[in-house]
Amino acid sequence: MSDDVHGGQSLEEINDTYYSRGATDGLPIVPPTEERLDEMLTGTDLPRDHVLGHLGDESRPLSVEKLATNAIMAGCLPTHMPVLVAGAKALADPASNSMTFSVSTTGWAYMWTLNGPIRNDIDVQCGSGAYGPGFRPNRVIGRALGLAYKNTAKIHPGEKDMATFGNPFKFSLVAGENEEQSPWEPYHVSEGYDADESTITLAGPSCFITWTPYRNEARYILEGMVDHMDPYMTAAGKHTVWHLICPYSAEQLGNAGLSKADVQRYVSENSYVPREKYARGKYQDRYLDRIDGGDVPSRQLSLAPDPENLKILSLGGAGTVNAIVGPSIGGPVTERIELPDNWAQLTERYRTERNWVDASNFYDH
Amino acid sequence: MGLLDPTSGSDVQLNGLAPRVDGLHGKRIGLYDNGKMAAEPVLEVLEGKLRDRYENITISRHAKETKHDVEDPEKLAAVSEWANEEELDACIGAIGDCGSCTKLLTWGMAAVEEVGVPTVGLIDEGFELDWQSNAIERGWPLRYEKTAVRSEVRDHELIAERMTPDALAAIEDELTRPLSETETNGTRTDNRTPTHE
Repeated sequence: MSDDVHGGQSLEEINDTYYSRGATDGLPIVPPTEERLDEMLTGTDLPRDHVLGHLGDESRPLSVEKLATNAIMAGCLPTHMPVLVAGAKALADPASNSMTFSVSTTGWAYMWTLNGPIRNDIDVQCGSGAYGPGFRPNRVIGRALGLAYKNTAKIHPGEKDMATFGNPFKFSLVAGENEEQSPWEPYHVSEGYDADESTITLAGPSCFITWTPYRNEARYILEGMVDHMDPYMTAAGKHTVWHLICPYSAEQLGNAGLSKADVQRYVSENSYVPREKYARGKYQDRYLDRIDGGDVPSRQLSLAPDPENLKILSLGGAGTVNAIVGPSIGGPVTERIELPDNWAQLTERYRTERNWVDASNFYDH
Repeated sequence: MGLLDPTSGSDVQLNGLAPRVDGLHGKRIGLYDNGKMAAEPVLEVLEGKLRDRYENITISRHAKETKHDVEDPEKLAAVSEWANEEELDACIGAIGDCGSCTKLLTWGMAAVEEVGVPTVGLIDEGFELDWQSNAIERGWPLRYEKTAVRSEVRDHELIAERMTPDALAAIEDELTRPLSETETNGTRTDNRTPTHE
């Protein structure tokens, strides 16, 4: 194939050029043209030269125009721009620690969680298969923000991004909280936002563990949350660990009268590892020094001394599978998503239906 | 109409490095610990070896609590102040053996070069390209020397065994070898991702 798509160049030629210059994530891109930029910028009221923050170091500004350019390449729609603008601010917030976790040998992912009405406005998946593959906003929002970081901070694998293995989730850990099926207040409400506000939250975890309870009952769900806290899953200091609770398990916990705080407290109070196992973890040396101030050393150590460092999200679809994502050295940072004045027209124009399976000829209910 | 550039970089003006010294005998040497775990044992061993090898040498140490300290402009400025107030003749920094610590070690070494003190950063060999790209981004063609031990080794005996006279001579060479023309004058490098114009 060599169809001319821009200025005498084929899609393959354009992709080869951007790839060779290190400006992609290895996947094909949508060529960023001026026409597409004009269209993408309809998704924000901010001027194109507005600087959203600096990524990598203070000399690398990310403007609205550059963010939109990366959004085009990632396959975003203009309706994704408000989310991307808020996400870029989160990345640029020093509290996100993105400068470190973007380049660390451990290999951390940008974990994005969406809350509020924006999830439905742009069709963010919160239920089955939320982390994908398959859902455009969930895939392209993470990709766009990842490309924006990479291309602003100018990091490349093996050259400033020194992740030993890389991280398969790095640009693709995006989902909305399943607020509609949760027995608890949404995450952003816990963080002080109103339920009708929309937010995006950034964390920087390295691992994703799924597990199922012995029985889908509150007792066993709580025990499972503790049992699957690997010694590496430390939620001490600035580290957080994210427990993703599926709706069926969340329902059981809610029916048992357990609030999110109750669940956090239980997991915090029961997640311990033997001292000798903990002490072998090189990164825990300093932590050990801090908590072993007394004459009698502790025989076991808490993985999550502060319940607040355990974050609970109700997310995903049918089944009794839960997950632990962490440890996170990023943020968490939550940013409010501001909508442009033309939001109603935009969402109407770019609304996409999912007509994936047509069962109407077989079932009449 | 051209395709758009997704990067935000611009041309980088590389600064000229501080003049090198004529030798290490009798000099005031700064040892900079960037807060990474292996930095302290490497510098402890190095200090002993330097004292044995060079006559009348004076050592001044500056240690950060964590590698992240220099992200704070005040703590980064404290590195320059230390080099200045101690009237260092040369500085050796450790250690670049992970992604963020290598990046932030270049920040520390650049802060020392800024006040006219020649530096060399000690890095694991696997982080050579990482060092180079971060140094260029920072605006300094900073010199480096590869450590003889792998990332995060903290075993004093092993470090001492590997820090041979040849290894010390290589560090000395980075602090004494005359600068090239580019290292002296700096240069402009294209840090952008060119696209079809």
